[in-house]
Amino acid sequence: MLSSVKKYVFRKFRDSETKRHELNYLFWECTTRCNLNCLHCGSDCSKDSLHPDMPAEDFLKAIDTIKNIPQNFTVVFTGGEPLLRKDIEFCGKELRKRGFKWSIVSNGHLYDKERHISLLNAGIGALTISLDGLKESHNWLRNNEKNFDKVINAIELASSSHRINFDIVTCVNQRNINELQQIRELLISKNAKAWRLFTIIPIGRAAHNSDLLLTDNQFVQLMDFIVECRKSKEIDVKFSCEGYVGKYESLVRDSYFFCRAGINIGSILIDGSISACPNIDRTFSQGNIYTDNFYEVWKDKFQVFRNRKWTKIGQCESCKDFKDCLGNGFHNWHGGKKNVLVCHNEKIEKNAKN
Amino acid sequence: MKRNILRKIIGGISLTSVMFVFQACYGTPQDFGFDLLVQGQVKSKTSGLPIKGIKVSVVNNMQYEMTDEEGRFSFYTERFGSLKLRFQDIDSTENGLYINKDTILTDLDRNVYLAIDLEEK
Repeated sequence: MLSSVKKYVFRKFRDSETKRHELNYLFWECTTRCNLNCLHCGSDCSKDSLHPDMPAEDFLKAIDTIKNIPQNFTVVFTGGEPLLRKDIEFCGKELRKRGFKWSIVSNGHLYDKERHISLLNAGIGALTISLDGLKESHNWLRNNEKNFDKVINAIELASSSHRINFDIVTCVNQRNINELQQIRELLISKNAKAWRLFTIIPIGRAAHNSDLLLTDNQFVQLMDFIVECRKSKEIDVKFSCEGYVGKYESLVRDSYFFCRAGINIGSILIDGSISACPNIDRTFSQGNIYTDNFYEVWKDKFQVFRNRKWTKIGQCESCKDFKDCLGNGFHNWHGGKKNVLVCHNEKIEKNAKN
Repeated sequence: MKRNILRKIIGGISLTSVMFVFQACYGTPQDFGFDLLVQGQVKSKTSGLPIKGIKVSVVNNMQYEMTDEEGRFSFYTERFGSLKLRFQDIDSTENGLYINKDTILTDLDRNVYLAIDLEEK
């Protein structure tokens, strides 16, 4: 009964947030160059990107169109690998001058002591580092035999600073699903405070590698692992907000599923496109900073993100959970958009039947 | 204002305050902003001229920055009750020889600007 009331009120809250459409979180795809060649990369990044890095002044000009800076507004530098840019610190300081916070998603390969200090000096406030297994499985997925050691060094540095709010993300796959407990112990030993677990969706390079995708049974194994971890306070473990997980909703995250892409989350992509999360199909772009006023696009467009009724097609059309799920994470709509790419809840329900 | 309060009440009933401190799937956690900007200029006490190449470091912390051509420095650092900064001449005679100096800052509710004079050796 209480759970139903909570869910009902949450849906009202979600509707209100959608109507409000406040920009709280902005990704900047500042480069598509990358120093790794990960097997699961959803963006098909490479060492020699087709796109040049976006000049900092172009990004800042777009940012300067934002009126009435919302509370907790954060710019997240993403890529490719953002640390390949030499001017991240300059960009960070410019953002701080404007009253914005900023953070970085990094593969950790270039995150050494000197860079850690220069990022702190420039006012970094948060960081996400990828660790995809114990040494062998991590280096396999990251396609680099040195990356694990560098990531561990990056985690130690980030842990040493109380200033940075940081977490570790892990893409769970066939190779690391049975190492999760050991990874957890490793992270606790490195004084990490937060760990987010993802699955890999079959896009980019991952679409062609079945080793990367979990079976339904393994997905439920992952859910149960997270539920168990969350009973302890040693490290904050959670499932990412990638999708709706039915009966596990209140057990694997701090809040119910709410895909805020295009509702509170925007992005400026490498070619100037204005969209939501960078892993969303690029045909959903709403404008371009080189031809449009960024903030006007944010305020006046994004209807396809704010009204998700169009996702009630394919297997979602008759789904009993649609009102809570609303077509799953937006990044699950690709290509012809006639059906959701991944239904997390379906995996759980199929497993329960078997 | 009224709408904001209502928003918080509804968010609170439906779950918790984390509703307002969310994190994108492939993004970072939120920055809670516990830092301050420390900036200033280092000059020679004798000549009044700016000194380049002075290491400005936070004691008991790995952060530091070097002064530029105009003796200026500027960096963000974690906000504590007090902050001890050390000014060190580490480049031997290259930009003159100066005696190191420590400064303790208290009352760190806002950003600080420091004018530092170093004595010549």
